[in-house]
Amino acid sequence: MIREGIAGKKLLVTGSTGFLGKSIVEKCLRAVPEVGRIDLAIRPTGRRSAAERLAREVLASPAFRRLEEELGPEAFGRLVAGKLGVVELDLGREDLGLGSSPEALAGYDIVVHSAAAVEFDNPADLAAQTNLLGAARLVRALAESGGRPHLVHVSTAFVGGMVRGLVREELPLDPGLNWRHEAAVLGDLRAAVEEESRRPEVLDQLRRRARSRVGPAGVPAQARAVERLRERWVRDRLVERGRAHARALGFTDIYSFTKAMAEHAVVELRGELPLSIVRPSIIESALAEPFPGWLEGFRMAEPVILAFARAALPNFSGLPDAVLDIVPADLVVNAVLAVAASPPPARSYRIYHLASGSRNPLRLRELHDLCTTYFREHPLRDRWGQAVGTPTWTFPSRGELVARGRLALRLVDAAQQLVEHLPLGVTATRWSDRLNQERGRLERVLNLSELYGVYVEVDSIFDTRNLMELWERVPEVERKSFPFDPAGYGWEDYFHRVHLPTVVRMARADTGPRRRRAPTGSTAPRVEPNTALAALRRHRGRGDVLAVFDVDGTLVQTNVIEYFLWMRLRDQPLDAWPRFLAAMASRAPRWLYLERRSRAEFQRAFYREYDGLDLERMRELGREALDAITLRRVFPEGMRRIRAHKEAGHRVLLLTGALDLVVEPLAELLGVDLDCAHLLVRDGRLTGDLQSPPAAGEARATLLQTYAERHGLDLAASFAYADAISDLPMLEAVGIPVVVNPDARLSQVAGQRGWRVERWEMAPGNWRPPLPDLRSRGDLERVRR
Amino acid sequence: MGRPGAVIEVDRNTPPTLFHFGEGVRLERLPLGTRVVYPPDPLPPIAHPERAIRRALAHPLDDDPLKSLLRPGMRLTIAFDDLSLPLPPMVQPDVRQLVLEEVIELAAAAGVEDVHLIVANSLHRRMTAEEIRHVVGDRVFTTFYPDRLYNHDAEDTEGNVFLGTTAMGEEVTLNRRAAESDLLIYVNLTLVPMDGGHKSLATGLGSYRSIRAHHTVHTLRNSRSYMHPPDSALHHACTRQGQLIEDAVRCFHIETAVNNHCFPALVNFMQKRETDWTAADQAAYLTVKQLTDLAPPAVKRAVFHSMRAPYGLTAVHAGQVDAVHERTLAAVERQMLVEVEGQTDIVTFGVPYLGPYNVNASMNPVLVVCMGLGYLFNLYRGRPVVRPGGVVILFHPCRYEFDSVQHPSYIDFYDEVLADTTDPAEIEARYERCFAEDAWYRQLYRRSHAYHGVHPFYAWYWAAHAMEYVGDVIVVGGERETVRHLGFKCASTLADALEMAEQTVGRHPSITHLRFPPLMLADVR
Repeated sequence: MIREGIAGKKLLVTGSTGFLGKSIVEKCLRAVPEVGRIDLAIRPTGRRSAAERLAREVLASPAFRRLEEELGPEAFGRLVAGKLGVVELDLGREDLGLGSSPEALAGYDIVVHSAAAVEFDNPADLAAQTNLLGAARLVRALAESGGRPHLVHVSTAFVGGMVRGLVREELPLDPGLNWRHEAAVLGDLRAAVEEESRRPEVLDQLRRRARSRVGPAGVPAQARAVERLRERWVRDRLVERGRAHARALGFTDIYSFTKAMAEHAVVELRGELPLSIVRPSIIESALAEPFPGWLEGFRMAEPVILAFARAALPNFSGLPDAVLDIVPADLVVNAVLAVAASPPPARSYRIYHLASGSRNPLRLRELHDLCTTYFREHPLRDRWGQAVGTPTWTFPSRGELVARGRLALRLVDAAQQLVEHLPLGVTATRWSDRLNQERGRLERVLNLSELYGVYVEVDSIFDTRNLMELWERVPEVERKSFPFDPAGYGWEDYFHRVHLPTVVRMARADTGPRRRRAPTGSTAPRVEPNTALAALRRHRGRGDVLAVFDVDGTLVQTNVIEYFLWMRLRDQPLDAWPRFLAAMASRAPRWLYLERRSRAEFQRAFYREYDGLDLERMRELGREALDAITLRRVFPEGMRRIRAHKEAGHRVLLLTGALDLVVEPLAELLGVDLDCAHLLVRDGRLTGDLQSPPAAGEARATLLQTYAERHGLDLAASFAYADAISDLPMLEAVGIPVVVNPDARLSQVAGQRGWRVERWEMAPGNWRPPLPDLRSRGDLERVRR
Repeated sequence: MGRPGAVIEVDRNTPPTLFHFGEGVRLERLPLGTRVVYPPDPLPPIAHPERAIRRALAHPLDDDPLKSLLRPGMRLTIAFDDLSLPLPPMVQPDVRQLVLEEVIELAAAAGVEDVHLIVANSLHRRMTAEEIRHVVGDRVFTTFYPDRLYNHDAEDTEGNVFLGTTAMGEEVTLNRRAAESDLLIYVNLTLVPMDGGHKSLATGLGSYRSIRAHHTVHTLRNSRSYMHPPDSALHHACTRQGQLIEDAVRCFHIETAVNNHCFPALVNFMQKRETDWTAADQAAYLTVKQLTDLAPPAVKRAVFHSMRAPYGLTAVHAGQVDAVHERTLAAVERQMLVEVEGQTDIVTFGVPYLGPYNVNASMNPVLVVCMGLGYLFNLYRGRPVVRPGGVVILFHPCRYEFDSVQHPSYIDFYDEVLADTTDPAEIEARYERCFAEDAWYRQLYRRSHAYHGVHPFYAWYWAAHAMEYVGDVIVVGGERETVRHLGFKCASTLADALEMAEQTVGRHPSITHLRFPPLMLADVR
């Protein structure tokens, strides 16, 4: 019946780059090779044409491997060339991208519409465009094309919304909604939200957030951050609006809402077309075809299962006896083909539920137990190779769980704020990293509970009478090759043999004890790790490569205050110390505040302290500070790196906001170029005013570019080493940024961008307070004077 | 007259024995039958050092009186030993100060105006102004520093001259000012028998080019030991170089020796035999022990390094180098020599907080090896106290700790070279050159106060003979990771260490404990 119904027919399949779409195409080619032709409606993207997408996203998929192996590559190629075609179709455009030739859609016998934006948390406008308007446009175009194809619209079982009890295979109850109106409302949301995002209070808030994150990196960096934050804000708000809109109207999420509206639209617009609507529930990995465990995408129950197996989800909400409606993908494919082969009479429509709930129910607790037994036997491993124990879920209410999660998140937030305000240090950075991790974990848990919790709170049972009626009509021979009876398999077998191994495989989680690096006996050159040193070796001998180093905090564990303190204390008698120190302490809070705002401002304010000091004397003290402070606090790793760069023939530049008085001796010793701050001098005395604006934030990037141009350097192959967020523009300016001992904020950025992070430390046992050594007699005499 | 050194066997009544343990001390109960070797008590110092010095200058050995060598208009250069001697640094006045003042007075009286004083620091770090002032005294310091009193710079291409090559092919360089002087006076302080003699000038004012001739793994493995010059290949090479220098420049040597009174009165218990401890000594020990257990390392270091030793002058000789050195060595051996009957399976000793290369700095792991397996192990005459294949048990906390001003090349040596191999010969072949010629270390050596880039290698070679000779080295109380990095074993208690040692030397081993410091020279019969 099914083969006959499809043989010789011309099919159009939308959404063929998606999981279900390509599964349908594959099964059709494999099981009904006598099909007339299958055209795949593919939208060309900016990067790839439709034909290219067919080759790379459809045919290259593992789903087609079985067919290719059965036929051999040549026969497979012939089959594909003979049976498969591409139609460039863009459901996002009013004319479907067909221009003025709607008759292009005329010659089809069967149209399978399986294109959809299936994420539960899509922005409202995207969901409306794809799921609702896309379907409406397709139906309208088909109706206008003059053909009479059988339209198979793939929907979802959840279009009924959050209703209890039996859900019939009928159009969803109409709560008095007009799909055109809903589409317009959702479609217009973006403009409104965009508008809202530009309101002064929102922008102010975003700017404050951006400043706290990358403020010291300068205005351009901050502006970019604001724009990024605003785009995210818009997306989040659209997701939120969509979800709220759907929930308000009684649906679980924006996906099921737009799908429900689409059903109304399709039914209304179908005209003469015979229409079948297939409503699968939650589609999971294939039971047997094309191979057991065929699955693409990781979005339905898989994240929850994986989080369970990793013990990252300590508890989950839901009714333990609620039915979790899951169907294997190949059943859906078979059902779609069976439905396609038996069209309803013209001008009428039929709806089929493809759900397991009524004939083969799986309860949430059962799933939990199945997972527990499976993962007890085949546990995942943590990063030390130890088996992870599975949690025992007690199924509290969602509200309770979410409230608890939110509270924890708020606590982490507060702690993060606190840590961000701490002075930099290795410990603070480590705390910050840990808090970031914790935050990510909490967010994931909360997100999972909010997204998927709904599905196991509703006691819906989906009626499958139409489907079973169809099943009764399928002859015995085809029941074997096109099984779609949801009672035809056991859940334990399905989960333990098929689905859970699939989840583990797809997550690439460790399941065996970790193997240590063992001698392989291979003489092949070892793969070089992607470290800065490896990059350095790759660029050996290139004279046009620059290595630019920040100094304070990157090469030397010190800051401008400590130098000043040391030099000034060394220069005055002991009895003047208390007054001087008290004056410094009273100004410290202001400096701390300025430092957080912008390093340039801080330096500028601090250098005023130098006003009136004797230049020659300070020069001398600066040279003494080389031994007393600089060399004592250098990072040996940093010195090695500079020497490695010099040895490799690179040009080395120290770029710092510190004063020439204290960094010149170091640069001289290292024999490298230096760009630092200089104070104006009048009558042999320092003035406290800078000769030029301090090189901080974006000024560093510009300075670097000028320097590179002057010396003919290739910044794309150059290295930059820095430790603070204010160096962000400098790091962005080069091809190989290396983040050294990053502060909390830079650490976050480096993590996001995948930059190399190194931790350099002072040789232990060298820390001394920045005070002159009172044990040395010379110092003592000088300060006693 | 103090008692001579002694070897005491531990019995039931023997009190626990003192072990130096870095910047700290501990008492250990040694197994019954262990021999404890004590150095002789300090010799009585010369009552009037100035008078003795004047006499020595007026009646030199195999040379004319100094006064007769001085004439107006001549170029006079006086070189003197750096701060690596004596250990710990001496209370003021330093012996060198006394000698320098006498010499300078004579020179002034003779109308010599062109006088330079050079610290013969070889490849050691430059001494700071404070340290120089401590050694030469205020009067000399204020007169000569910094123009005419300065550190020798072995990396100054202009400031060193190549004198020639010895019969055995060793190259010889010398500080240019010294080489071009009419008279070169060397003021030495001999603490252990390896110091002084021809080695003073050959290494003290030499450069990497000349020092690398004998600071090699091969030479040091054939110096058994370098604390006994007649058996030391190192000293034979130095003598050849020294003779070449003597031929080129008119030299006059002044050598001094001190007794072994190395701790101030407050912590005198450190050099007393435990059987002699009074109640005050017990109290001092308890106080020091408690404080060092509690105090952070930086504080302990500050306190320990501010200790000055009340050494007393025991000998001063002037004149021709060989004659002078023979007498000096005799004086040193009189103070240090202890007769030990036969070798032993296991030797134990504590490594103190200070070695020649960490004055005013922490003793890093490489220096612990240099001190323990280099200097202390080699303090023997004839044959080592431990039998071939025996076990050395050291006591030292052996922390991963480096002074980044003084020992920058040590950090890299530890992190990069020792991570690769600990075999001295391999290290020498593969890494020495590149450290020795590294521009950055050269800069730090010349401009800051860092040891030369090649210095950690020499510190490591110093222990080459011991590493080849003994079966196993166990560090008690060391930082596990650091000790393993150095290629040795680590134990937390002496009992554990002894049990580990039995794996190597068998059950019921004979044990000898060397009660350093004060230093002694074991004459093993």
